[in-house]
Amino acid sequence: MADPILDIAGLKVAVDGKEILKGVDLRIPQGEVHALMGPNGSGKSTLAYALAGHPRYDVTGGTVTFNGEDLLDMDPDERARAGFFLAMQYPVEVPGVSVLNFLRTSMNATRGEEISPRDFMKAFKENSALLEFDSSFTDRYLNEGFSGGEKKRHEILQMAMLRPKFAVLDETDSGLDVDALKVVSKGVNALRGPDLGCLLITHYTRILRYIAPDVVHVMFEGRIARTGGPELADHLEENGYVEFGASEMASAPGA
Amino acid sequence: MASWVAETRDEAERNLASLPALTGQEEDWRFTKPASLGMDGAPLDAPGPSGSPRVGDEAGRAAWLVLDDGRPAAPNVVDLPDGVIVAELSDALTAHEDLVRAHLNSLVGIDSHAGALNAARWDGGLFVYVPRGVHVERPIEAVLTATGAEGRIYGRTLVVLEEGAKATVIDRYVSPDLGGTVQASTVAELVVAQGAELEHMTSVSWGSGVHHHATIAAAAGRDSKVRSVVVTLGGDVVRVEPTLRVVGPGADARALGLFFASDDQHFEHRVVSVHEAPDSYSNLLYKGALKDTSRTVFYGNLIVPPGAPHTDAYQTNRNLILNDGASAETIPFLEIETAEVKCSHAGAVGRVDDEHLFYLRSRGVPEVEAKQLIVLGFLQEVLEMVALEELREELHEAIAAKLTPKVAAS
Repeated sequence: MADPILDIAGLKVAVDGKEILKGVDLRIPQGEVHALMGPNGSGKSTLAYALAGHPRYDVTGGTVTFNGEDLLDMDPDERARAGFFLAMQYPVEVPGVSVLNFLRTSMNATRGEEISPRDFMKAFKENSALLEFDSSFTDRYLNEGFSGGEKKRHEILQMAMLRPKFAVLDETDSGLDVDALKVVSKGVNALRGPDLGCLLITHYTRILRYIAPDVVHVMFEGRIARTGGPELADHLEENGYVEFGASEMASAPGA
Repeated sequence: MASWVAETRDEAERNLASLPALTGQEEDWRFTKPASLGMDGAPLDAPGPSGSPRVGDEAGRAAWLVLDDGRPAAPNVVDLPDGVIVAELSDALTAHEDLVRAHLNSLVGIDSHAGALNAARWDGGLFVYVPRGVHVERPIEAVLTATGAEGRIYGRTLVVLEEGAKATVIDRYVSPDLGGTVQASTVAELVVAQGAELEHMTSVSWGSGVHHHATIAAAAGRDSKVRSVVVTLGGDVVRVEPTLRVVGPGADARALGLFFASDDQHFEHRVVSVHEAPDSYSNLLYKGALKDTSRTVFYGNLIVPPGAPHTDAYQTNRNLILNDGASAETIPFLEIETAEVKCSHAGAVGRVDDEHLFYLRSRGVPEVEAKQLIVLGFLQEVLEMVALEELREELHEAIAAKLTPKVAAS
């Protein structure tokens, strides 16, 4: 078994003084895709933001080792430069910052050296094609006027450009129609490999038909409640989260 | 000196002596102490020279003029089309007397403190004349420096564009950080005839110690395009008063402003457009960022007197606060006395959105650089209206310098 790229032990996180994560243990070997499922309010997104270092999320206990280093000791930008990536559920719009300028700045920052304009445009064109990202968006400002699907594609495009060692995809499937979901999944699958670990956060099993997880975890009330293979997702598809005490379905409505 | 020049100076000096002293209680002097800008004209001790200012780069200029402490000096004319005049203004009083006499003091009177002070005392300045139909492609630039050798300095600019002419003129104000206070007074008069196009940039890039009062007045003729771009970055106390007089139908006049205040800088911008003709357009757009304990004031006014129907006039001021302790005031005003006009005004003060900052940092961009992107992005709306491309790079550097933590002297 490969060394874990991410090793979370006893992680406790509070938001505005309220403890949301109550001791999360999660170990993800490099190269594997783990799905993190759970009903609303179980703490999935809190885990994502806490790992990325969002200042609103207070780590009150536990450790996170990322690629052998103490992740919690790093600023958000240091985490990204160390190879950590979070595809956000709700990417914000940043006025006046163009998509291309943003991508180039973040690429230069994570690589630690200036990428040549030629190499940059080459990478941008290839990855835009992969994600069917409309290249006319490059003159637009960051996420401004993007539809929900375009924002998600743009998140995965960034992941493709920045080549992280590990990515958390926070409900990337939410709000996507089936076509957009397929495109985004195609992008993630293309990036999948021995050098990328992935935590795929989702409420619904739908995306797991396109991105096959190696391991499935269920989170409930701020802890990992169960861990299993892909069959655990099938089980949730059938039964929802009832046995965990939440009367929510895990199969997407209308899917 | 021609008698008309001497007479104007004398009259201005008399006005200065007879005008009631400004106390700071006056409505339009509530925010910036008149004494801090030397509005009484009292002499001021020089702080002493503090090294040479960085005066920029004349590359890419059609003509270039440097006035150290406001002293007259010959312009360096690089490449001007036939008939275009770029001269030092006191020289032009005799060399181009008719042209100068027709326009000097025509837009900025000598009956206010600031107007009288400058008219009475200026020595050197910039004169630009572009004849009918002539386009000057490259910018013409004048640099007024403060070296610390004088306690008070004056600058004056007169730009005259005849029918269908086109030019870009830059007034740049620079100094090193000074060991004491220098008070600067500048006036720019911009006369833009029918169908002519002028972009005028006022770049306030002083070091510390400088207090500056700047008056900019433009007259926009029929179907002309006038852009006043004010970029305020440097100086301890800076008050800039641009006024656009829209005197011909079909004119498109814009007062654009970009500023970034830091440390304990105090900037006040008082921006006015007056529609003296019907069927014209004006837009006042000022955006700026603030950090540390700086303070900025924006006062804007759209004036549409009777007899200017079909006026389109807009006014927006937005301020981006980077930390507690900095404060911005915004006072957008309207005086509309004509029916059938489209006018709007808006003023806002907001903070940097933590989510924006987090998003950029989560992509590896360090905090200072992320703030730089956010501030430049905030100013982008104004930059898009400015033709002078080099401004973007200049702002980029100035913003980076202000955001980079100062290394404490050991």
